[in-house]
Amino acid sequence: MNILYLLIPLALLLLAGAVWAFFWAVGSGQFDDLDTPAVRVIMDDDERPPEDRKE
Amino acid sequence: MARADTCFHCALPVPANCDIRVEIGGKQRPVCCPGCKAVATLIRDAGLERYYDSRDRPDPGAVRPAEDAGEWQVFDREDMLAAFACRDGAAAEATIYVGGMYCAACSWLIDASLARLPGIRNAEINPVTHRLLVSWDASSMGLGRILATLADLGYKPQPLAPDSTERPERAEQRTALKRLLVASLGMMQAMMFAVALYSGEFQGIDADMERFLRLVSFLVTTPVVFYSARPFFAGAVRGLRARRPGMDVPVSVAIGSAYVASVYATYTNGPAVWYDSVTMFVFFLTVARYLEMRARHRSVDRSSALASLLPNTATRLDGDRRTQVPVAQLAAGDIVLIRAGESFPADGSIAAGRTSVDESMLTGESRPQEKSGGDSVVAGSVNLDGIVEMHVEMTGTDTTLGTIGRLSERARYARPAFVQLADRIASYVVVAILVLAAAVAVSWYLIDPDRAFVVTLSVLVVTCPCALALATPAAFAAAGSRLSDLHLLVTNGNAIEALSRATHIVFDKTGTLTRGMPEVVETVAHDPGFTEQECLGIAAALEVASTHPIARAFARHESGLTADALEIRVGSGVEGTIDGRRWKLGKAGFVPGTAPMPPHDATTQVFLGAGERVVAAFTIADTMREDATNTLKNLEKMGYSLSLVSGDSEVPVARTAATLGIGDARAGCTPDDKLARIDELQQQGEIVVMVGDGINDAPVLAGADVSIAPSHAASLAQSSADVLMLGDSLQPIVTLMQAARRTMRIVRQNLAWAIVYNVSAVPLAAAGFVPPWLAAIGMSTSSLVVVLNALRLSRIR
Repeated sequence: MNILYLLIPLALLLLAGAVWAFFWAVGSGQFDDLDTPAVRVIMDDDERPPEDRKE
Repeated sequence: MARADTCFHCALPVPANCDIRVEIGGKQRPVCCPGCKAVATLIRDAGLERYYDSRDRPDPGAVRPAEDAGEWQVFDREDMLAAFACRDGAAAEATIYVGGMYCAACSWLIDASLARLPGIRNAEINPVTHRLLVSWDASSMGLGRILATLADLGYKPQPLAPDSTERPERAEQRTALKRLLVASLGMMQAMMFAVALYSGEFQGIDADMERFLRLVSFLVTTPVVFYSARPFFAGAVRGLRARRPGMDVPVSVAIGSAYVASVYATYTNGPAVWYDSVTMFVFFLTVARYLEMRARHRSVDRSSALASLLPNTATRLDGDRRTQVPVAQLAAGDIVLIRAGESFPADGSIAAGRTSVDESMLTGESRPQEKSGGDSVVAGSVNLDGIVEMHVEMTGTDTTLGTIGRLSERARYARPAFVQLADRIASYVVVAILVLAAAVAVSWYLIDPDRAFVVTLSVLVVTCPCALALATPAAFAAAGSRLSDLHLLVTNGNAIEALSRATHIVFDKTGTLTRGMPEVVETVAHDPGFTEQECLGIAAALEVASTHPIARAFARHESGLTADALEIRVGSGVEGTIDGRRWKLGKAGFVPGTAPMPPHDATTQVFLGAGERVVAAFTIADTMREDATNTLKNLEKMGYSLSLVSGDSEVPVARTAATLGIGDARAGCTPDDKLARIDELQQQGEIVVMVGDGINDAPVLAGADVSIAPSHAASLAQSSADVLMLGDSLQPIVTLMQAARRTMRIVRQNLAWAIVYNVSAVPLAAAGFVPPWLAAIGMSTSSLVVVLNALRLSRIR
């Protein structure tokens, strides 16, 4: 069972990483609009060449 | 989808003689006017037809073509860019409030259309807040082009000054989401370690390992308490300071004491830790708060709501020079030119010219008011037919409009607060559980020290108030999502509770019970040479160029005739030539052969004459909504008392009340009068629901216990309303009232279940008959029952 003394802190590190990643995602606005992306996926078939939209 | 006789684009009825069609999706679709045809064609030609498949039910009249495209060119100027956008070299960024969008398909359409413009770098649109954040290359095009694109699609764009762009809601939403995630991850981890600790109780556990697991639990719980639960502590402190402690106080006591006790037990190696209970409690409460906050953010933003009633720019006269200036730059003493069809940007008086003004949104008065030199005009009212110069006296928040905005704000704070019963019970239960657990621990320590810990643990687990905390929010969330499928947007979490207890429904007249749009209700042809249909066609041709509301009544009778040499006689009528004959259409006294009549009734008489003869007389009135009678009857059957308060004059109000069988009707009410009437009803112990759409209804909507506004309502009224009705009928009110009653029935069932479960389980657990694993199963089942019961609400029809 001694392995737990290593694995649990490791799991906590991963957890901290996940929280950091989520905070970053929220901060960059990915969760501001939860309604449109669901529809966008259905509508944006590739009927038009991709150069329509430049990033 | 739209019925055959409604416009494919905007869902308004297609006029009888109108045969305009657009080919969309391989089929000929009827539309109601050239404007809708233009918008539909634009959408089709841009390859964006899928908008029609994915949008929610078309919202009648919401997305209408812009009337004047020239307005937007002003915004291409450099100084406008400076006023409304942030510059960073060639890149510019602006925030635009987009009026008239309601669904995700709209936001996709806007996004896809903007992407086709040159130089667009990024466009983010938020369908909840109706705000578009766009950044583009300012050297390739001006702001006006973007605004014109939006207007062409039929939306009402309104650039916002940079200082008002950062909405507090966005920050609040982000923080709440972060708090929720920390709480949920913390809860999962704490639970996992708790399972290890519980099983250790049975199978035996290394003392070192137990200490270690407790320490780890402490590490994952600490952020939950200090970050996720911070709003509860802050709320408790605020409540205590204001000497009005709310439910945050017992919640904070529960979280705080369980946490401190656990930390102490961890440090001193005490008998038990409660980290799992702490995190779970915080998590469930945070979920409930988050759901409530999302509903609240759906309501229309107040600052934009006020501003959207005003034009974006005004034409200021400096001597002979005309300059387009943003409305925010107007000051008292300026002279402003207002063309027909424009709205007044500020309060003031007419300096030159005469016109008629539509003040119906502000006063509820359904007929246009004649205004000439020296008469006062208010911001937000619409100049109908003449060109006038106006002397600006009050601007911005000092205007009548601003005052109404403030009045509704105040009324909102003064409304009776509904105490959230379930939350209050839940928080007291938590304190009770902690006290009880301590008592059980002490008693068992005296009886049998070996079993004290296990029994205390069972008591804590079996009594977890999750079911209680979930009972109300789960039911409200399920009802809210089902109602939004039925086109009823609930923007205030408490609205459902208040609705279920409502006793009295108060209606506004103009635009709510009636259509708010004049229609020809009677045609009398005085000349045997013309049929009624022909007379209407002639009248429609003459009114083509007019922006007067009367003209709209004729628009649907268009028959393909064209009139030349049209002249608009301000305050009287129109003249024009059709097939060589000179026609006059207007009020009595303007058309030869009619004697002037004083206006005295709800209806307006309009005459059509040729040469010296009267050819036809039309009666024009604001007609009742088709389902008004039915809806009101149903509501009466359900046991509600009904009232009518209107700003309109005595006769039309009395007539509407008589038709609908409403006994209690008040006419000529100012916003203050309406509010006073609601107060009076509330004093008598009635729970009042207000249904209204005008700006003058905003304060009373805010002051009523619950308020409902149709989606075509003035945005200020919408921002004061708890429930928005999409679509064009009154029937949803009946659905809403039934749904509210059903929701509260489910909430009561949930609460009853949770209380019965907790009350019956506690003695068993305290007596030591329930092992911890059984307690855990009981607790989860209890929560599950509550959630499943709430889900029954998604079958409301």
